[in-house]
Amino acid sequence: MIRLVPNHASKIKRRDKVGFTFDGLRLEGRRGESLAAALLQAGHLNLRTAPFGDAPARGAFCHMGICQECAVRIEGRTVEACRTELTDGLVVERVS
Amino acid sequence: MSYDIAIIGGGIMGCATALRLAEGGMHPIVLDQGDLGQGASGVNAGTLSLQIKRVQLMPYALRGHDLWAQMGDAVGFHKSGGYTLAFNAREAELLTERQTLKAEAGAPIEFVSNAQLRRAAPNLTQNVVAASYCAEDGYANSSLTGQYYRGRLQDAGIAYRTHSPVTAIDKTTAFELATPQGTVRAKRLLLAAGAWLKPVAAMLGVDLPVQARVNTVSVTERMPPLMSSVIGHATGLLTMKQKANGTVLIGGGWQGRGTPQDGRGTVASDTLRPNLALAQYAVPSLGSARVLRSWTGFEANVPDFYPLAGALPHVAGAYVLGCVRGGYTIGPYISRLMGDFILGQEPELPLFDPGRAYTKEPT
Repeated sequence: MIRLVPNHASKIKRRDKVGFTFDGLRLEGRRGESLAAALLQAGHLNLRTAPFGDAPARGAFCHMGICQECAVRIEGRTVEACRTELTDGLVVERVS
Repeated sequence: MSYDIAIIGGGIMGCATALRLAEGGMHPIVLDQGDLGQGASGVNAGTLSLQIKRVQLMPYALRGHDLWAQMGDAVGFHKSGGYTLAFNAREAELLTERQTLKAEAGAPIEFVSNAQLRRAAPNLTQNVVAASYCAEDGYANSSLTGQYYRGRLQDAGIAYRTHSPVTAIDKTTAFELATPQGTVRAKRLLLAAGAWLKPVAAMLGVDLPVQARVNTVSVTERMPPLMSSVIGHATGLLTMKQKANGTVLIGGGWQGRGTPQDGRGTVASDTLRPNLALAQYAVPSLGSARVLRSWTGFEANVPDFYPLAGALPHVAGAYVLGCVRGGYTIGPYISRLMGDFILGQEPELPLFDPGRAYTKEPT
């Protein structure tokens, strides 16, 4: 089967808290977990707006790199939060 | 038990011919080495465009469009209309020459002014020198081919076996086909194996001059509405449409690598990049779109690029259908003709003798 998101559960350090920002908000997560998981735990389910249509609020749905509903901007690139490993000081913004 | 006909290949050709034969009272069985509609029938870009069909095949393509329209939502059919674009004088000349011939052959193609084009498709580049439009053009969703025909075969009570590659064919009074699930016996045989026709015909000692192109297709992330019609290029090197979910499907026959015998083909960056660059030139807003996936499919053809549709040379009771050049569009219709021919009836339009000389001629 296709596995776009590697299984790196063993890499997640639950006691090792790291800070990151989401649209300027300072948030905390655990080193090694996916950015989508960290945002979810911090209470941010609405990650982006729909490209069109009347259901504007979108959030991580598949958590495996397919649905694109968790796309965010990091260092000028659009990436899927579910496929991005959380590191210290990550600066994350919504796609405009 | 013995079947009236065994059909090797469960794509559009094999399934649609089986349906026609069953309507005529025959008992067919469809065999596929994988699953139904997983070859070219299921991975192509889904374009239904009269503007990219060969002039001599236009009567077949026009009737093919009617059949796709009848299949409707079950195959994701949309009649969106389509524009073909030229970006310089040389391409404009090519566009005028080719589309005039196709219009004379019966396709409702018209040339449109820049002003008309900009009103209808405001997100296109301003660098269009000439454009043609065909209201009959559109697209369907090729990934629905397999499930559509599976349902049709089941409804008609037609036998089919998937994951059933034919490994040897014995011809005595009837055909005996060796498969991993046992021997299948049938009075007649239709080869409809697409890009895999050559090795299948070789089992009967017939050398078909079939080659495979390795066409590349890509899909982007969901985008705001950018185009409401199918967009093509005068050279045929671009086809593009935006689906209802916002994703943009980009094709144009750019060649990946690999052969049918090796399994799936692979995407080649040196052909993918110009394919995407041409798409982005046509619709500049695509510059911000991410490509989510690119893949390839094998399109079979013979040296003169006309279909194989008729009796297989040298083997009584055997037939071949494939290499149609526009097989997605024309497949459902030419399969009916093939079915009528096997049933001993005169087809509505002529078939294409697989025993011909294959002299190359300019397109």
